[in-house]
Amino acid sequence: MTKFTRRGFLAGASASAGALVGASAGVLIGGNQAASAAELAAQKAVLKRSEKFHGSHQNGVELELQTFTNFVSLDIHGGTDRSAMKRWMKILTNDIERLTVGEPILADAQPQLALGPARLTVTVGFGPELFSKLGLDDQRPESLQDLPAFKVDALREEFSGGDVLLHLSADDPVVLSHAVRSLISDSMAFASVRWTQQGFSNAQGVVPSGVRQRNLMGQVDGTDNPQFGTQDFNNLVWINEGPQWIRGGTILVLRRIAMQLNTWDKLGRTDKEQVIGRHLDTGAPLGSKNETDPLDLGAVDERGLKVIPNFAHVRRASPTNPKERFFRRPFNYEVGTAADGTPDVGLLWTAYQKNINEQYLPVQKRLDEFDLLSKWTSPIGSSVWGIAHGVKKGNVLAEDLF
Amino acid sequence: MIKKALVALSALTLISTTLTGCASGSVDGHDELHFSDGWVRVSEYSDHVDGMTGAFATIENHTDHDVTLVGGSAEIANMVEVHEVIMMDGEMKMQAKEGGILIKAGESVTLEPGGLHVMLMGLKEAILEGDEVTLTWDFDGYEDQTFTWPAKASLSGDEKYEPKK
Repeated sequence: MTKFTRRGFLAGASASAGALVGASAGVLIGGNQAASAAELAAQKAVLKRSEKFHGSHQNGVELELQTFTNFVSLDIHGGTDRSAMKRWMKILTNDIERLTVGEPILADAQPQLALGPARLTVTVGFGPELFSKLGLDDQRPESLQDLPAFKVDALREEFSGGDVLLHLSADDPVVLSHAVRSLISDSMAFASVRWTQQGFSNAQGVVPSGVRQRNLMGQVDGTDNPQFGTQDFNNLVWINEGPQWIRGGTILVLRRIAMQLNTWDKLGRTDKEQVIGRHLDTGAPLGSKNETDPLDLGAVDERGLKVIPNFAHVRRASPTNPKERFFRRPFNYEVGTAADGTPDVGLLWTAYQKNINEQYLPVQKRLDEFDLLSKWTSPIGSSVWGIAHGVKKGNVLAEDLF
Repeated sequence: MIKKALVALSALTLISTTLTGCASGSVDGHDELHFSDGWVRVSEYSDHVDGMTGAFATIENHTDHDVTLVGGSAEIANMVEVHEVIMMDGEMKMQAKEGGILIKAGESVTLEPGGLHVMLMGLKEAILEGDEVTLTWDFDGYEDQTFTWPAKASLSGDEKYEPKK
């Protein structure tokens, strides 16, 4: 047993060393260590998995959650015009092509950190104001505009707005950090950083596939999403009309939603379930067994009371017509804890859709009118982004926009 | 802990050695010079007419003979030279490299900021980030090669230019 463990360790050491020099470590391990090949493969699996950058859609949307994420919002410099945007997108395209296959960028200051792809994706989007700044108003999709103010909003400038979004996610935090640093460095000639927002989901293999996770209130998040690769997903998310640059793209609403965990945790489990309208353990609607069971909003108990209360989040958020749906891909955030133990935590909540006015806004307006959950949650950041269509090999990001 | 560190270290050494051996083998199966990661630097020296800049790449010699990079030419520059960076009076300075850059058969050379590079001087127009620059590389022992590479900034390698007297 001891011997086996030692061998296991050696394989691990070789794996990390191999990654450092970019070698295929498996080949180099002696024959007497052949038994460790499977272990080695398992250890490197997270690092080696890659996500395609090229395609008709940008990656990082119709995709299982990665473990770590960083949303980077930038404001363009005064002198950045359309031709500068084109040059910037050229550099970013080249950078992303390299980083997503685990290679350093050109002139990389830390090429040692390009350890592998680790499912890195970079999704690039554009904020509403960019279009007026560049004289491109006719290229702005109608619903790509700042959201109206909501009663529940407690928005902070440092988490809101921006001209250009670089949304990066990966399964390894060092790979992600290096990619973020690389893209920001290569953007500084054109723009400055407005804010960055980091988040996380579960480690790979911890929860079943499907874009759902437990948020930090303990709820299963991401239920009732459209399924990947279906007509339903296409119909809800991928734009197929309007300006050419966004046909094959989508519109993202990103909301930073703070959670008041100290007060939330004073509620008992039953109260928590009433507020959300779902069972905490399974994620099933109250009165049902499975997470995927449909909501029965008319169901009443033996006393004649609604099983899913009027104030429940799922009732208020439930679509009143088939158009009022969108795709959510939420990450958690945690930035520290106050002296009294209050954690600064919440959600980097996302909604991807074809049209904000028809899909997100009706739901959000309903929640803004009344949603008991908002007693323990408050939106403190908000931004809206037009995500350009995908990039084919040899082409440049958003080249038909700038 | 010490034991573990030693094991890790020896594994690293083993791999590095093997890699060096690999580097002399054919990467793409061609019996030729292989260029990769080519780029041209953007800086405050390159953002105006009559400015200058450097071009960088990794060149692998998969031929059976030595090859020397002796110079080059570019539509955008009046003069293209092969340069090296040396320590002069306690400062890193660059100057033309006598005899060019030798790339022995089966070996590779990396041109990078702070080291060997191809210098573009007397720029006819500014080079901006994201521009593409076409450059011809002149060799002894191999046909000249023309590439178009991206221009971008780099934080490293700010040497003073010291022309030969």
